[in-house]
Amino acid sequence: MSKNFYHYPVWVRLWHLANAVLCLFLIVTGFSMLYSDPENALVVNFQRAVSIHNVCGVLLTISYTAFLFGNIFTDNGRHYLISLQGLVERLWKQLRFYAFGYFRGEEAPFPVNGERKFNPLQQISYVGVMYFALPMLFITGWALMFPEFILKRFLGFSGIFLTDQFHVILGFLVVVFLFIHLYVSTIGRSPLSNFRSIVTGWQESH
Amino acid sequence: MILKRISLIVYVLFAGLSVAAFAQKQDSAKVTRGAEMSLYAEDNENNCLVCHGKLVWSLTDTVSGTVRKQLMSEHNMVVPDLFYNSVHWSFSCLDCHSEGFKTFPHPLETRFETSWGCIDCHGYDPNYAQYRFEKIDADFQKSVHYTATDGLITCWKCHDPHYYNPLARQTTGGREYILRSNEMCLRCHGNSDVMRLINDENVSIVLPKHDWLPNVERHMEAVRCIDCHTRMNDSVLIAHEVMPADSAVMGCADCHSQNSILMGTLYKYAAKESRDEKGFINGVMLRNDSYVIGANRSKFISFTGLLLIGMTIAVALVHTFFRIMIKPKRTAHE
Repeated sequence: MSKNFYHYPVWVRLWHLANAVLCLFLIVTGFSMLYSDPENALVVNFQRAVSIHNVCGVLLTISYTAFLFGNIFTDNGRHYLISLQGLVERLWKQLRFYAFGYFRGEEAPFPVNGERKFNPLQQISYVGVMYFALPMLFITGWALMFPEFILKRFLGFSGIFLTDQFHVILGFLVVVFLFIHLYVSTIGRSPLSNFRSIVTGWQESH
Repeated sequence: MILKRISLIVYVLFAGLSVAAFAQKQDSAKVTRGAEMSLYAEDNENNCLVCHGKLVWSLTDTVSGTVRKQLMSEHNMVVPDLFYNSVHWSFSCLDCHSEGFKTFPHPLETRFETSWGCIDCHGYDPNYAQYRFEKIDADFQKSVHYTATDGLITCWKCHDPHYYNPLARQTTGGREYILRSNEMCLRCHGNSDVMRLINDENVSIVLPKHDWLPNVERHMEAVRCIDCHTRMNDSVLIAHEVMPADSAVMGCADCHSQNSILMGTLYKYAAKESRDEKGFINGVMLRNDSYVIGANRSKFISFTGLLLIGMTIAVALVHTFFRIMIKPKRTAHE
């Protein structure tokens, strides 16, 4: 018997929507810039890709700041607090469930309940993306718009080159995260139930 | 519940306010200039510009009344319209030139008048601190323009104070900016007559010396002379330490590599100029010409990134395959 929990209040859903749309634009334009050449605009014209990427980057920073405030001032933030005790075992348990237990029909080791919204793998990847990758992407992205603050040389490399590479690497990590996030979201009570949750706010235990 | 409502309101308000704040045009106010604004325009036009403001000037013999027309040398001429649109539009001629010029014919000593340099007015002035005139002056004094010419070359030779406007503000950027920047050098280095002022014996113009470059014309259109001929310095916008010709950048990889100082310096320069000129919204976010396709591309990272994404998708596909194959068990569980 499944139970429903109201885990996604309106502000979280609004933020998630803004975050998703902006990230998609950023990824498409980012790829377009990274792989295009003057004769071949991969997706959009290079100069337009730069403009769209910059506008979405600025908007994402604003949306992220709102998310940060939301997590500080509401109890949503508690889902992002990782308890280090037994973390490795919990991660392994969850990974083992996705790899084997799930197919054997075992119960999910960390089912959604009133207190728990994320399983340990979700928790660590969301914290990694929201509290590490995105802030670093913002810092490097804004630095590329204000390049006079970037060091001229660092460890023998051009500071701008390093900043840009770091930005690209983090961008790739976010894309990898997005694929995993989308795929794992299909592992719910039904393949679409988690997608329904982020629209309605109600999450089913499975 | 109240907290959640508040957080929703804060979210919407914050997002709205931030967008509004960013949307404000950040262009600094443009100064309205022109002869009608200058307190000294009438004085200038009734005196110095009577002759120096015209291509043809007249000399009258006060005894016989004979009038002789003469051509004004381009080196001694000041085009009034251009002057009143320069940054020094509000000045009287005699603010910078000596009182000796009040009499005609001008006395001999006026020929030896020392010109003011930029640093004389703009140095150590907090209003101009952002341009770092002191650093520019220090770099200039180390440059071959200063050390090899016995002080003959001053700021004026390149930056005519009568017409001075920061170059980036006069051009639409890109190729036009590069062309105008290079014109400044070619006024002397492309004219063997002018070069005779410095060196009688070894007068040569500069362009043929660049024959070693592949695609010379494309280089000339796309690169500023100073990009190869000055010591790069990203603490001032334009490097002023011009090096001797044999110290110029001549290695292809100095520029054509992703990790070059030149690339970084150019990027910093173009981004800041664009922002100062058009503001953050128009100069950086919406139209940022300082990005160069592939300038910072690393083939290794681009490839590894795609590989990583490919592997992620492969794992998801394998997982999906098993989900489909082992479906009966799942259904039984649910």
